[in-house]
Amino acid sequence: MSAATQYYTITILVYICANVIAAWGLDLQFGVTGVLNFAFIIFQAVGAYTAGVLSLGSSSGNGGFEQYIGGANLPFPLPIIGAMLAGAALAAIVGLIALRRLRSDYQAMVMLVVSVVATTVVTAETGLANGAAGLSLVANPMYGLAGLSRQTQSWIFVAFCIVVMLVVGAVMYAVVYSPHGRVLRAVRENEHALEALGRSATHSRLEVFVIGGALAGLSGALLVEFIGAWAPSGWLYPETFVFFTAVIVGGRGSVAGVAIGAALIGVGIQQAVQYLPIGSDPTVLAAAEWIITGVLTLVFLWVRPQGLLPERRRRFAGGSGVVTR
Amino acid sequence: MEVFVSAVGFGLVTAALLAISAVGFTLQFSVTNVLNLAFGSVMTGAGFVAYGLNLSGMNIWLAMIIAALCGGVISVLMNTLLYGPFIRHGMTLFGMVIVTISTAVISDHVIEAAVGPSFFSYNAPAGKALHFADFLLTRQDLTVIAIAVVVTLVTQLTLQRTRLGKSMRGLSVNPSLARACGIPTRRIVNFAWFGSGVMAGLGGVALFLESSTFSATTGSDFLIVIIAAAVLGGIGSARGAVLGALIVGIVTEVGAAYWDPQLKDVLAFAVLILVLLVRPQGLFPQLATERAVVG
Repeated sequence: MSAATQYYTITILVYICANVIAAWGLDLQFGVTGVLNFAFIIFQAVGAYTAGVLSLGSSSGNGGFEQYIGGANLPFPLPIIGAMLAGAALAAIVGLIALRRLRSDYQAMVMLVVSVVATTVVTAETGLANGAAGLSLVANPMYGLAGLSRQTQSWIFVAFCIVVMLVVGAVMYAVVYSPHGRVLRAVRENEHALEALGRSATHSRLEVFVIGGALAGLSGALLVEFIGAWAPSGWLYPETFVFFTAVIVGGRGSVAGVAIGAALIGVGIQQAVQYLPIGSDPTVLAAAEWIITGVLTLVFLWVRPQGLLPERRRRFAGGSGVVTR
Repeated sequence: MEVFVSAVGFGLVTAALLAISAVGFTLQFSVTNVLNLAFGSVMTGAGFVAYGLNLSGMNIWLAMIIAALCGGVISVLMNTLLYGPFIRHGMTLFGMVIVTISTAVISDHVIEAAVGPSFFSYNAPAGKALHFADFLLTRQDLTVIAIAVVVTLVTQLTLQRTRLGKSMRGLSVNPSLARACGIPTRRIVNFAWFGSGVMAGLGGVALFLESSTFSATTGSDFLIVIIAAAVLGGIGSARGAVLGALIVGIVTEVGAAYWDPQLKDVLAFAVLILVLLVRPQGLFPQLATERAVVG
């Protein structure tokens, strides 16, 4: 493979892994448990910023051209773990405040507002994460491996991302298709019945909010270590919508389906628009991506709301469907 | 003290902009229960219709009226062709939010692809700045405030004094009972969408007038603030929308004058989140329990 083709393939694979992990996080929240997290993108952003800050070192180093709080020079997996913890912590805070018994569309509005507040504050307060310019020069951890060509190092990073994705996928399967997964689906389907059985729907919602936040943080960390930079213009509030489309198109509540949805919507559309006969003006291409995403969501909601690979619904024996044992 | 008073003056203008749109938004939401996140796109679309007319020589205020009518028509079409079918297809409250957000994404980016990423401004002289009692407002500002007052009065009178208004209020409280009483639901819903679209158009053109430059994203950026004002006042109440608009407008401008201008909107949102946590039904609560969408 030529160097250019290799670089292209590496980029696509990393983006697919990161998008799939993030989409699984949202699937756990929205697809399985029915939590309307319209602020999802901020958890990916906090993970990216944390991973960046934890691997860049103190802000006065490097000539002090970027300002941010914190800063450490931690070795390889620690920034990623820190990112997951940051995503989980932010989710805990937001969840405790915002996951009230609000009507579902009110809750969507609150989450949207939280997302907008986050971008506004981070852009305005340059001391937090270097404002609108964002973080840059975040090093890929694999570039420190001695004696290997840049390309080999990148492929090792891809392998790492794929392994992480498979591990997260296994965890998702274990959670979603388990008795615990049934509790989560009960929160979505019939909350009152669940509470009558003595379980707390609020606890379950907070729990998936935190786990989903951690997964979003993980995906952000992988992205920032590959791209090397991260700025507020990359995580405006409409970006959450892309993940929602991935979950809806792939199949709400279905692990494999959402993975396919994330690959198709996150990466597929972006590549597909380049083959459309609409010229190469970047504004038009970007607009086309969004238009296709929106149209796909509407089409799937109308024609196939259960998604490409619907979630496996268990059928219990018994004439009327009532479980007797 | 002068800073405070002139900030209040600017706050009144912002409040007027918010009020025009928030009243339309809350009216439609109270009647149909659809959280129309494509409202911002209707504002932007109407604003650009007015731009096109203005560019070909028409007076901006006349263009505003035509753009507002276009906004009304577009909103009715959106409901008839898109939202209504989805609702009859069985879409839930939250499903409709996704539908409207998809519509918003599509229309925003169609507009962006059509007009390009650049910034525009109207050919409308702002007029002399008038100085009275420390307020510093132009003729344009005062006209916008007057439009807001007229829109609010007309809406309030329609809702309280006419049969149409009574039907709308009935529909917003109990749709099935309203239908049983013989209220022509489809027609009333269309009126609500038309009214909300007209107000979106007026609000969009006013917003573009008051912003020194505008682009394809100006309308949707403003939408969140509009929602904040409407929810603060209590969804479904026109009075509440005006009060919410006043609070948000004045708080943001005074905050910008004394604190950090970049965090203007954050202040409004902080107020909104606080209100939502403490009193989620807003200041003037209408019945805000779990209800079905009406199409």
